[in-house]
Amino acid sequence: MSTDRNDDSNIPYAIRTHTPEKLKDALRKMYLIRKFEEGAEESYTRGLIHGTMHLCIGQEASSVGTCLSLTDADKITSTHRGHGHCIAKGADVAKMFAEFFGKETGYCRGRGGSMHIADPSKGNLGANGIVGGGLPIAVGAALSAKRLGRDDVTICFFGDGANNEGAFHESVNMAAVWKLPVVFVCENNKYGMSTSIQRSTSVKSIADRAKGYDIPGVSVDGNDISAVAEAIDGAVARARAGEGPSLVENVTYRWRGHSKSDRNRYRTKEEISDWMARDPIPRFAADLIAHGILTEAELADIDAGTDREIAEAIEFARGGPDPDITQLTRDVYTETAA
Amino acid sequence: MPVEVIMPKVDMDMASGKIMSWHVGEGEAVAKGAPLFDIETDKAAMEIEAPDAGVLHFAAPEGSEIPIGEAVAWLYADGEAIGEQPKPFAISGANTPAPAPAAAPAPDHSSEAASVVSRPSDAEAVPTADRPRATPSARRLAREAGLGIDAIPGTGPRGRVQAEDVRSALNSVATLSAPPGFTSETGPLAVTRSKGGTGTPVVLLHGFASDAPSWAPLEPYLKHRPLIRIELPCHGKSPRRRFPGFADLVKELRHAFDALQLDQAHLIGHSLGGALSLALADTRLRSIASLTLIAPAGLGPEINGSALTGICRATRAESLGPWLKSLVAEEKLVTESYIRLAMAGRSDPALRAAQVALADTLFPDGVQAFDLRAALDRVEVPTRIIWGKRDAIIPWNHALRAPGRVALHLFDGIGHMPQIEQPDLVGKILRAAV
Amino acid sequence: MNTHVEIEAPTRELSYAEAIREAMDIALGSDPAVVLMGEDIGVYGGAFQVTGDLVHKYGEDRVIDTPISELGGAGVAVGAALTGLKPIFEFQFSDFAALAMEQIVNQAAKVRYMLGGSVSVPLVMRFPAGSGTGAAAQHSQSIEAWLGHVPGLKVLQPSTPEDVKGMLLAALADPDPVMIFEHKILYKMKGHVPEGYYTTPIGKAAVRREGKDVTIVATSLMVHKALAAAETLAADGIEAEVIDLRTVRPMDRDTVLDSVRKTGRLVCVYEGVKTLGVGAEISAMVAESDAFDFLDAPIIRLGGAECPIPYNPELEKAAVPQMPDILNAARSLAKGQI
Repeated sequence: MSTDRNDDSNIPYAIRTHTPEKLKDALRKMYLIRKFEEGAEESYTRGLIHGTMHLCIGQEASSVGTCLSLTDADKITSTHRGHGHCIAKGADVAKMFAEFFGKETGYCRGRGGSMHIADPSKGNLGANGIVGGGLPIAVGAALSAKRLGRDDVTICFFGDGANNEGAFHESVNMAAVWKLPVVFVCENNKYGMSTSIQRSTSVKSIADRAKGYDIPGVSVDGNDISAVAEAIDGAVARARAGEGPSLVENVTYRWRGHSKSDRNRYRTKEEISDWMARDPIPRFAADLIAHGILTEAELADIDAGTDREIAEAIEFARGGPDPDITQLTRDVYTETAA
Repeated sequence: MPVEVIMPKVDMDMASGKIMSWHVGEGEAVAKGAPLFDIETDKAAMEIEAPDAGVLHFAAPEGSEIPIGEAVAWLYADGEAIGEQPKPFAISGANTPAPAPAAAPAPDHSSEAASVVSRPSDAEAVPTADRPRATPSARRLAREAGLGIDAIPGTGPRGRVQAEDVRSALNSVATLSAPPGFTSETGPLAVTRSKGGTGTPVVLLHGFASDAPSWAPLEPYLKHRPLIRIELPCHGKSPRRRFPGFADLVKELRHAFDALQLDQAHLIGHSLGGALSLALADTRLRSIASLTLIAPAGLGPEINGSALTGICRATRAESLGPWLKSLVAEEKLVTESYIRLAMAGRSDPALRAAQVALADTLFPDGVQAFDLRAALDRVEVPTRIIWGKRDAIIPWNHALRAPGRVALHLFDGIGHMPQIEQPDLVGKILRAAV
Repeated sequence: MNTHVEIEAPTRELSYAEAIREAMDIALGSDPAVVLMGEDIGVYGGAFQVTGDLVHKYGEDRVIDTPISELGGAGVAVGAALTGLKPIFEFQFSDFAALAMEQIVNQAAKVRYMLGGSVSVPLVMRFPAGSGTGAAAQHSQSIEAWLGHVPGLKVLQPSTPEDVKGMLLAALADPDPVMIFEHKILYKMKGHVPEGYYTTPIGKAAVRREGKDVTIVATSLMVHKALAAAETLAADGIEAEVIDLRTVRPMDRDTVLDSVRKTGRLVCVYEGVKTLGVGAEISAMVAESDAFDFLDAPIIRLGGAECPIPYNPELEKAAVPQMPDILNAARSLAKGQI
């Protein structure tokens, strides 16, 4: 039967590769990301969240598909639109909300907020407020793995905007020269803030940048979790084998504006609604049901369960202690034990 | 027309006077000849009487410095329309542009010459002194030593007082082993009273570096009267305070005297206490029944500065003894036990530091920085001066400057301390007088 | 108890560059996590021959020639430090740090704080610095104050061969990013250097000469100019106390203030541009402390001129403090002329 499956190109890669439990958990994580972002948006509206944030609604397949096969030892560097990466890499949404609410119980003890959300215990080296900031850091993490003889790989998430930063080119070049175990994952959601890739980028597909560094580059439908997983798994296998980095471009779309202050003047309502019709979540759910992995009842359970998880997370976060003002400068430096 | 009250000239070289306080409030009536206000000059403080009867208006603010002859207030007749202040006050410092030339400010290169040209001969045209220029270190050293920074000449750039200047100033009043600093205190002066006695009380003011118990040898001759001993600031149990000048010391003493609420008193003062008695009488004439000045300061510039500083900086009997002996004609009077007792009374370093500072203010470079000769001329109460002709601290012949109505008792073979050296002689004179 | 080890080891003469190389040799030999990174530090031996032949001893995997990618290279070092390596990153000239400020300032300095103390960045960066080589405006700057302004960094300016070895080893033992500015003129300077491993404490100034009349606080090369000035002053009967600040951040408050309390006069000498420089901080530190009460003259700052470092040798000399400037300033202060 498994042989049949492998031969049947109608069965998506993810479904023929992963266990039903893994697949159902992937769907659950996509639901969790969506509901987390909606919960964050609502909390923001209620004034519970300070500052701004960048929502990844619509991009869930990219986050979850990319992290599907990773272990906790594998590293990721994330971006300012990093909530999905964080959840996909296994973070606790309660501690994420606590961070958003500026609580001592948050992942960064209220010092980082949305833009620096991180969970090093799960290999997430952190979101980054600087476009392109995580690129060389990911290369450094890969250098550590290679130098110290570890077999972990590093996934470097970056956006289409970062592909025009010098840091991108320097980083990809160095990783290629040194054959480091890193996968550069571009989440191309079409716009760097308001500027479209057509107006900013000299190549049609960001995957084409790979040619300049003589590494594999592939562009996939970032709203198809299976396509994403397939491309990433290939790149990760290549990295683990010591063959060096790859570039994967997940073409996707953010439903919301760049940040909370975006008034959407640079794109049309039609464009947005076209992409909303290509919602990655029902698409994956339908696939799982069609292939007998998931029942309608189980789907309803995932829906209700993630609602509950988000509600509890927000409740946990709201009840957390605020940081102690007298500890303002803690962790600027490591406190060395005498 | 209201009567203009002016800043009177009360001293020969007086250019301006400071209004210390008004005895009469704005809108209150005053009789002609009644005390109207107190003034202070760079030499002394005194009470000024109302030139006419009237209601006081537009009195110059207390603390303002007014050139002599300029208006300080106006007295209006009962019912007279008040209107506006007849003319503005000529407050010194506030009107310094007046003597300046109308021409544009001189360029930098000639500013020195310009300042020479415009340097006024009268004190009132000198702008109120800015804060003295001094380094933080100099200020700290002065503060610790109880010296005012403005009393120290600066030798640094632009006249800045530097640490070295303070050290020099300290050396002029004390050696390098100068006593440590003291904290300026507030509070009333220490007053002690004898039991018994009737009639007009006798107020006793001791001399520099002495204290109230020093009157003990004389007191048996005065016990028929109530005796009131005031201890000077920085002496005995009185607060250690800093004073910018003699006038401030007088003012402090006047407060203490006023607080006694005496109708009449006989004043007896020795040395610095004599000078203070005279200054007090100058402003509280009506309250003074008689004035006795024993070897008083204030009647001439000379004083034995080394003896004063020697006494106030001495930290042990061995260094105090020789200076104490210089106070008297017959050194045998100053016994070892007397010296040790005196040193015990001076064991508090803060007291010594306060007296060093006071000496520096009153007797800079061994010179009496105040002059009360004019006051002695003015004070028309029964006055006597008692002096020993072997006084090694203040020359006895200062007594000869007294006007004829002042009785002089000049003794051969007595030094600066007649009341201790020959208490019976002095006592008999006083007993007859009070 | 602390990382500082009292020096008892035998000493011999080494140049400043040799002392750095010896420290790196010790580190590479004793800790497999240590790697050197930089441009032309391998077979070339480094632009100033500091790394020398270390590549032959430890191989290209540990003495890593980077592409000319300062931003990327610095970021790789940050990422490597975050994930287990202890990189020593050499900028070819400290001026090139301007290309990498993003990674130094936004990432290395802040990651620990942003992530609530859950990570640290044990990174050492070396910056050949200063003028006097005729290299003009873009290869001669002293930018320690730029980095000294950033909480999260430690900034060192060792002035002797003994110190540079001890401070580099102390920096490697430190869990936080440490920036070491090495004056290029010092590289050939010889001095006694203890053998073996020892550390020189970070954040502790050294009194190089005791004196009672005037305090001269100097950094880096200026320490030697100040010592020369102090010799001449001594002939005039003026005893200058010369303090080698050694660390710009964290600054050694106690040593400076104690000296000012003693002398009452202060000259600050540093090569960076005078305005808003290290001397401003030293002066402010005195002015804000009780040592203010001991000042007996204005403070004098001798810093770099308000211009880029010029090419012409006479202009170049005029652009930074020289021995006679220090001499005149200290003498005027000691004689009460200022």
